[in-house]
Amino acid sequence: MKNPTHQPIVSAEENLHRKLSAVDKWDKEVKAFIEVYREDALKRAKAVDNRIREGKAGPLAGLVVAVKNNIAVKGKRLTCSSKMLETHRAVYNAAVVEKLIAADAIIVGSVNLDEFACGVDGTYSTLQRTKNPLDLERVPGGSSAGSGASVAAGMCDAALGSDTGGSVRCPAAFCNAFGFKPTYGAISRYGLSDLAMSLDQIGVISKDKAVMKRVFDAIRGTDPRDQTTQLADAMLRKKPAEAKVIGVPKEFFEGVDKHIAAGVKKKVKELEKHYEVREVSIPTLKYTVPIYQLTMAAEFSSAMNKYDGLRYGFTGDRNEELYSSFSKARDAALGKEIKRRIMIGTYITMKEFKDAWYSQALKAREVMKEEFASVMKDVDVLAGPAMPTGPWKFGEKMTPLEMYAADMLTIAANLTGTPAIVEPLSSDFKDGAIQFYGRHFEDDVLFGIG
Amino acid sequence: MVNVIIGLEIHVQLKTKSKIFCSCPTNYRDVEPNENLCPTCAAQPGSKPFGLNKTALDNLLKIALALNCRIRDSSIMQRKHYLYPDNPSGYQRTSKPIGAEGNLGTIRIREVHIEEDPGRYELREGTVDYNRAGIPLIEIVTEPDMRSPEDAREFLDELSAILGYLDVARDEPGSMRADANVSIDGGTRVEVKNINSFSGVVAALAYEIIRQQNVVRRGGKVIMETRHFEEASNSTTTLRKKETEEDYRYLPDPDVPPISVNRAHVAELGRKMPELPRAKAARLSKDFGIRPEDAWILVAEVEIANLFERMAKRAIPQKIALWIRGPLKKQLNYRELTLKRSGLKEEWLSELFGMFEAGEVSDKGMEQTLIALFEKKKSPKTIATEMDLLMTKDTKEIGRIIDTVVEGNPKSIADYKAGNEKALNFVVGNAIKLLKGRADSKLVRELVLKKIKEKK
Repeated sequence: MKNPTHQPIVSAEENLHRKLSAVDKWDKEVKAFIEVYREDALKRAKAVDNRIREGKAGPLAGLVVAVKNNIAVKGKRLTCSSKMLETHRAVYNAAVVEKLIAADAIIVGSVNLDEFACGVDGTYSTLQRTKNPLDLERVPGGSSAGSGASVAAGMCDAALGSDTGGSVRCPAAFCNAFGFKPTYGAISRYGLSDLAMSLDQIGVISKDKAVMKRVFDAIRGTDPRDQTTQLADAMLRKKPAEAKVIGVPKEFFEGVDKHIAAGVKKKVKELEKHYEVREVSIPTLKYTVPIYQLTMAAEFSSAMNKYDGLRYGFTGDRNEELYSSFSKARDAALGKEIKRRIMIGTYITMKEFKDAWYSQALKAREVMKEEFASVMKDVDVLAGPAMPTGPWKFGEKMTPLEMYAADMLTIAANLTGTPAIVEPLSSDFKDGAIQFYGRHFEDDVLFGIG
Repeated sequence: MVNVIIGLEIHVQLKTKSKIFCSCPTNYRDVEPNENLCPTCAAQPGSKPFGLNKTALDNLLKIALALNCRIRDSSIMQRKHYLYPDNPSGYQRTSKPIGAEGNLGTIRIREVHIEEDPGRYELREGTVDYNRAGIPLIEIVTEPDMRSPEDAREFLDELSAILGYLDVARDEPGSMRADANVSIDGGTRVEVKNINSFSGVVAALAYEIIRQQNVVRRGGKVIMETRHFEEASNSTTTLRKKETEEDYRYLPDPDVPPISVNRAHVAELGRKMPELPRAKAARLSKDFGIRPEDAWILVAEVEIANLFERMAKRAIPQKIALWIRGPLKKQLNYRELTLKRSGLKEEWLSELFGMFEAGEVSDKGMEQTLIALFEKKKSPKTIATEMDLLMTKDTKEIGRIIDTVVEGNPKSIADYKAGNEKALNFVVGNAIKLLKGRADSKLVRELVLKKIKEKK
């Protein structure tokens, strides 16, 4: 499949028709969408066109956006790609959905993900298998698999994803698009189903960096319904900084595919024309995977405790004894990877084992934050590869540990709460992608680099 | 004498307009089940807690200050994990201590923290109502400093009085709950859970102490377990036996920023603290010369203490104290009312007491006027007049009734003459009954005796 080129928006309706025809043409094969909001979107496009004519249109007027299906859109399915929520419909709009609507974007539908966003390649979805539009034999990347694939296939202008350890940046890299994970707390998570609350952040994928920035600007900001966004508005009023020094942590190149490493180094060389480039070292980067796995699993096991088959989604057997009904519902409706993470998370937070595992991870995370802060006193951004490899083929045997290791370059941004952007190195997805990390709430800086 | 050790964990629902982490209203008793719900308090996928309710935190701080606690500068919200239908998220948000190392008299307070109430699950119907989910609660944990159910009663009475003075807690049945830890003679500690009232605590403790004594007497050993208090039978039954302590896997809640407590604000709350029951009782006793035990009863409700203080300026304080703790409290308690909720006006009570003191009504007449006052809610003088309860000065009327009684009971008169004093009481009683208490009993007695003599 060829990259459909981005064309300027003529009218919201026309743009939507273009995207819907891409959906009709490709999505039987790609399977990015869980639900297409065709009728609603057409209605909205007409209304937005009216506002465009009246000169009252919002900043995203006519942009067609897909939303990862762990973000609530009122009245629509909210499956998290799990049997547990296969029948569930959201009873409210996520904060970002309210903001997209207010900005006159057109939400075209919900897109697939690894179950509860737990996965790195999209194959842990329990509802459907999303393929990489650039090579249908390859994975699209995860967990925002449908977000990456729908953008790559020209079925939307931008897609929202969620990024807990790289879930926006991995599919962006694998689908050769731009991907952005903002500072933790820059965007309200109200309405985003939890994976790991201290790591989760909503992000954007697009083939157009300027569109990605427009979407980010429209959905960022303080929301009283997500207390971790308290600083977002105040930070927006800060004078934007300008990057002068790029740091390149040597640890970012360990275990990375040679071709990709070479491409990134070449790109860094080009950047030397405009920036001062320094090699730096952040020793705790070696431990990102264990720190992340422990933190994430602990929080995930807590977040998943609400799924007991009683209130919504999968219904447990009401005639069973209470606890047996809970455990049977969870056993039947949650996938293997979910169970693995819940079990690890439960184990490491038990009284007996907490000090040996979870508490250690919390401490190590603090050390990593300090190291990052200290390095980034002198450098404005960090650069390195986005993913250690390109997208693999379906069926390539990978152990969970190998899968977890694929995150090693992205998860530090989540552990430290810093913003990160990934950009394709060429028009060929096999060349890989470069990634830049910025300082807290210096998100805008990242859009000016590269 | 058996050596008893008791510690309490007391839950109090705080008085706020909205729930602890969202803007849903808190009038959960007044609405249909599951009406006061939003995605947050129903734990819908993707929902997040809003900021911690500021009024709830202030209410906690006031209580902690009243309990002489040290206030911590910061605390964090944690998740306490457990699965039960009343719990929509699979965990309860509960803070680390905010107040600690306090005391109420000789009972030390270990800590005070804030948490969210779960919903209400009806096991038999298999239904759940989440209106209560998210009502702000505090938990007050005492050290094991109580030695008897009576100690617990005194502690809880004073605590309820304080909550009333501060006006920070929900004032309705079921808004205060407690768990009690009890052991005897250094034996195993047993936890009694789900006690839904303060009076229930005393009953549960009394039962549990006897149960443990009986176990030991029969040569058994008290085992570590959690017991449930059955209100209907005033007894406790096994809820679960625990080999090890439960593991709630406490985790800091990443969705709730650390709670920071401003010192200047705490100092301000401290300055605005009203005079509390203990200090008030001491002052009333000193200033008005009333007995300390009477002062304690008066200060249990701030409105009653205030009533006393105002009335005591116009009459003999000890008499007023006895009148309030006697007839007035008797009628309030019988109706399960506080003075505040009774709707009785101070001017009426003052007038009634004045009538009683002046001998315008007998003690029976006063009591009947008071009873009528709860319904009629108007001047006691008017009520007493309407109900014909004012003392009669009409000696002719009294004479007539005494004649009737003495004539009508020849056998009793004969018995009295034969030396049976009780027979006289019967005759006098009859006369007072016919007079509807409108005459002084001493006077009636004298007149009856006079009549008997005349008859000779």
